[in-house]
Amino acid sequence: MQGSSSDKLDISVAVRNVQKTLRSGTGIIALIIRTWRRSHRFKIGLLISLFIVIIGVLAPFLAPYPRDGLGYVPEDALLKIRLPPSQEHLFGTDTRGRDIFSRVVFGVRSALLQIFLVVSSSLLIGLFMGVLAAYYKGIVETVINYLIELFMSIPAIVIALALRLVLGSGLLTVVLALIITWWSWYGRVTYIYSRSIVEMDYVLLAKLSGVSGLKIILRHVVRNASPPVLVQAVTDLGSVLLEASAINFLGLGLPPDSPEWGVIMQEGIQYLSISPWISVFPGVFILVTALGFSLIGDSLREEVDPKLRRRWRLWF
Amino acid sequence: MPVSLNYIVKRLFWSILVLIGVIVFSYLVIILSPGDPATKWAGNPRGVNATLAIEAARRELGLDKPLHIQVFEFLVKVFTGNLGTSIAYKQPVFTILYSNLAATLELLFCSYVIVLPIGIFLGVYSALHRDELIDDVLQTFGTVTANTPAFWLAAIVFLMLVSSGHPVYGRIDTRLALETGFQPMTGLYLLDSVLQGNMVVFVDVLIKLIPPALIVGVYPLGLSIRLSRTLMAESLTEDFVRAAVAWGVRKRRIIWKYAFRASIPPLVQVSGLAFAYSLIDAMVVEYAVFGREGLGRLLVDALNYSDFKLAIGLLIIVTVFYLVINTLADLIQALIDPRVRL
Repeated sequence: MQGSSSDKLDISVAVRNVQKTLRSGTGIIALIIRTWRRSHRFKIGLLISLFIVIIGVLAPFLAPYPRDGLGYVPEDALLKIRLPPSQEHLFGTDTRGRDIFSRVVFGVRSALLQIFLVVSSSLLIGLFMGVLAAYYKGIVETVINYLIELFMSIPAIVIALALRLVLGSGLLTVVLALIITWWSWYGRVTYIYSRSIVEMDYVLLAKLSGVSGLKIILRHVVRNASPPVLVQAVTDLGSVLLEASAINFLGLGLPPDSPEWGVIMQEGIQYLSISPWISVFPGVFILVTALGFSLIGDSLREEVDPKLRRRWRLWF
Repeated sequence: MPVSLNYIVKRLFWSILVLIGVIVFSYLVIILSPGDPATKWAGNPRGVNATLAIEAARRELGLDKPLHIQVFEFLVKVFTGNLGTSIAYKQPVFTILYSNLAATLELLFCSYVIVLPIGIFLGVYSALHRDELIDDVLQTFGTVTANTPAFWLAAIVFLMLVSSGHPVYGRIDTRLALETGFQPMTGLYLLDSVLQGNMVVFVDVLIKLIPPALIVGVYPLGLSIRLSRTLMAESLTEDFVRAAVAWGVRKRRIIWKYAFRASIPPLVQVSGLAFAYSLIDAMVVEYAVFGREGLGRLLVDALNYSDFKLAIGLLIIVTVFYLVINTLADLIQALIDPRVRL
């Protein structure tokens, strides 16, 4: 064991708390319902996120100029270059005469796609690696911890630069760059939690009764270590979006003309002082979306971790 | 000493191991990705001398040797500080990196020096006024600022400055610097101008530094408001606070001397991490919006010139920065927290 004993105790208490929270009710859904009742932040966050998801699903119907939204330049583009916001073009038009509102609405889709791809793959890799390190100790533990440390120390944006130079621009570049760094955080969280789980009696009993390693990992360790990691993942949804859009803003990710908020902002940044609407509106959407996810994540974490929820009084 | 030499050596060794890993990783990215690595290393040259440049790159990378020797030679090259000549700048890569790192560090330091005390104070204030309106307002403010995309905010601020007739662009007014005979020495212009007693340049540099610094500071501001509230909420309920109240110790003393003191170590830890990550915000904001030189400019130029050497140089320097800051945060934590022994 690497951690001190008090550290271990803290964690096993936390694990038990999470388990208790999840068991008192019927799991995740009960947790969500309870958080909904208790926290206004959660309600606001959930409403924002639902709103964003609905916009994403209904994008082709909501966008007044769906073809502009997908990045095609309209035929009368020359007449419509950089028009300020008006009734016809709610958010104005961009440098090539496309309706920004339509592009932003379609941007919801790529934002959600990037978030989903990055978080789900990093979660899978991180859970797998973390549990593996905790269960098989020894050399496996050292190597995985080394890899976690390694990829934690490189920021996604610089990896995106390297990948952009070798792979060219595209969805793969952004998503891959983010996954390469992001899994390590889940790996570490999983590792810390599962380290105390593998020491628990039921794991030992399972081992003694000859249950295979893989089965123990899947049935006991992963199942018990995943709730806190999942909550962490929900909190991260917003940060992934912020980082992905920063990568796209610098031109390291999706190609120009893509319906993506960072890309739209980049196209408008040279014209910032003449036609600010190009860069301003997509940013508002990034902020609102990230905020929605982060409100959900924070209140879920508060619900799962009683230490954060504790009522306290001042002694003076 | 709470920090043993053994720990420092171990930590150093581990950091170097991570650095080697990063270098090997970046090398493998060039070698294993589709396409000819030599062409990439030469920056996709075109024209008369293209074949010559590619041949030179092939020799530089040692592509005719077996893979493990290539990797080893590359490592030696990096550690001796010889990454070749940048395609974008026609100068040795590490020279460019050093001169630009100073600009970005100046921005980052300035930003944290301004923002962290404010954030921590607001967080403590918020904890002391829990369940009041101000607490809710501050915490909501913290959540919103922690989720604001820095480059978007930078665009807004830039716009506001322009429309108010005080545009801020670049890092220093070159004409002013020439007229007053300003000489860059350390690369930290604030420090240089103070050392030379050149107040005109100092004010100019400071005015150009503060808007981007505040924007980079928005994330740590939100973070520190929320974190210090959580930590204070924890330490204010401890028994020692209760005991101090019973003893009749003055309130201000209890708050700052006892309760706040217990939350300093985790604050140091998290601020260290945040500092390392703010480097990215600084890189995105400084060049793309404010046109300042710095690592952000290198990032954009490496992309525009397909300058792979510069990209790898950036990767290395950013990793080193992260490792150094993290190690420092751990050491400081051990020095100030009697419970931590490393």
